[in-house]
Amino acid sequence: MTSPNTLVFMELAIQQAKLAMDALEVPVGCVIVEDDKVIASGRNRTTETRNATRHAEMEAIDVLLEQWQKNGLSMTEVAKKFSNCSLYVTCEPCIMCASALSNLGIKEVIYGCSNDKFGGCGSILSLHLSDAVSPNKRGFKCAGGILATEAVLLFRTFYEQGNPKAPKPHRPLAHQATT
Amino acid sequence: MTNNQLIVHIPDDPPHDLHHQPTVTVFASFINPKHANQIVRRLNQIAPLGDLRHVKRIRKKVLEGGEIELSVVLCLANEGDNQLDGVPPHLQEIISSYQLSPFITNVSKYEATSKEEWQEQCKFWPTSYHPRTYSIDGITGFSEEESHSVLKFMQSAVELATSDGLVVNAAVIVDPSVKQIISTARDQVFTWNTCKDDSFYRKPDLFNFHPISNRLNPQKPMHLRSSCNHLKQPFTSVACLYPGQWAEQQSHLQSSYYCHPLRHAAIVAIESSAARDIRLFPNDEGSKEKYLQLDHESYCTSSPSKRQKTVSATVEDNDKLNAHSQASNLIEENDKLNPNLLSERPYLCTGYDIYLAWEPCTMCAMALVHQRIRRIFYAFPNPKTGALGSVHRLQGEKSLNHHYAVFRVLIPEEALHKYHTPVAEAEETGI
Repeated sequence: MTSPNTLVFMELAIQQAKLAMDALEVPVGCVIVEDDKVIASGRNRTTETRNATRHAEMEAIDVLLEQWQKNGLSMTEVAKKFSNCSLYVTCEPCIMCASALSNLGIKEVIYGCSNDKFGGCGSILSLHLSDAVSPNKRGFKCAGGILATEAVLLFRTFYEQGNPKAPKPHRPLAHQATT
Repeated sequence: MTNNQLIVHIPDDPPHDLHHQPTVTVFASFINPKHANQIVRRLNQIAPLGDLRHVKRIRKKVLEGGEIELSVVLCLANEGDNQLDGVPPHLQEIISSYQLSPFITNVSKYEATSKEEWQEQCKFWPTSYHPRTYSIDGITGFSEEESHSVLKFMQSAVELATSDGLVVNAAVIVDPSVKQIISTARDQVFTWNTCKDDSFYRKPDLFNFHPISNRLNPQKPMHLRSSCNHLKQPFTSVACLYPGQWAEQQSHLQSSYYCHPLRHAAIVAIESSAARDIRLFPNDEGSKEKYLQLDHESYCTSSPSKRQKTVSATVEDNDKLNAHSQASNLIEENDKLNPNLLSERPYLCTGYDIYLAWEPCTMCAMALVHQRIRRIFYAFPNPKTGALGSVHRLQGEKSLNHHYAVFRVLIPEEALHKYHTPVAEAEETGI
């Protein structure tokens, strides 16, 4: 655990995931934390936008980018801000989001359950690891398994609701991560 | 060189010599056949084979005299590490409780793509081989008419990439069944419009670039040297080539000048196509149920003519196959109920192609998986951050729930200079 408030922040991410579920979206939520304060939150909006890239992380990142530029920050200042931010997200970021987070140079990612199909922080690809070959690629610290059971439960509820014909959730989202 | 020779399929796995297929080292052990079931069950729980799903867990050999010898794959061994130190504790337990003596052996790294490959693979450790059961148009070649259309759309993507002084990446999403452009975009990492401007979202299908011209002559012979992989110019404004470059921007931004490090061309084109879908089909009620059920696990398109199986041939999981047939049934039911809506409206970008000037980075390539693009065509490789064969190869990641086919269209680099450099210079840089 990287902050004494880790569980508090993950609870807030879970709250965001529940908001997604209420809106009939796949229940994933996140918060972004700077200096132990939540500065942005996001939840999945793929169904509403009909854009499958509108994951919780992307939503929260957009909030920050808009805010910081409204405040007149330069791009180097924005980069510095991101390098001081932690992301708390209920499910391991997918390959797209992990890659985006690496491009932004975020400090660390704390996630709930792992993502066995799409995960970009160890499950399928390890985009959080820095790479000496390409200096463009910045690594970030990563820890999983925080409130994973709660995150999995949300998925299970969602898929049971979503497809009553399914014998059981057919998206094997969730082995609880051990790190 | 004919048109269709200019379109090169980029396969799911890196090409390799039949007799020198890549292998990885694993720990294996002989086991007592009586314990085989128990051991395999426990191993599948604690040490699933992951990317090596094509590798058979158990190897069976009939020895002289009819005795059967079984050996089992325990886990992947780290490169150059012959010690069992790195083996997880649960696995250590199995090793000691069944008194196994692990040894190092090689297994094939990739699933066989042909019967010949499979037979070679089985010489060192048995694998399973599932011939591809789905096909995407073009993998087995393009007709002259198809390749003409591909070249025209690629040309429009390259023109778009060079259309505004600064050369950036550009994306053109196309519905190939009617040869219609669905959306277009250039990189918008730096834009002078403000991002939240309504017009920005509402005009994705106004195509104000010129009708496709014949400035690029696809018939012109090209010499495809290896140097083709390294463009002569750095093109530092191409977002997918330098995804971290935005942070170097020193100047303070004015209110009219917006920077968004993640607005690469493919991402923006996806956003535009989604906005178009909402505009054309504002009433989502009819398909809401279907969306919920198929989001994140749709194996079929909603359009019967474009329906394609995206279940990887490696899927053996019965649950998944059931889910797939359920989804098919459901769509067929829905088709009967509301054929008009469904035949016009695809689920996300299912059935659509995207043309990109440059091979997309990992973020963009995965975004295109999420949005269910059917085929990706790119002109120029992205050796440092490309995710369709250069650094990663997402089209071959078996675990993903959707797979597109990837093609490179061989266009000379001069296409990028043609519109903006003096003629003499363009000729000089021509390949």
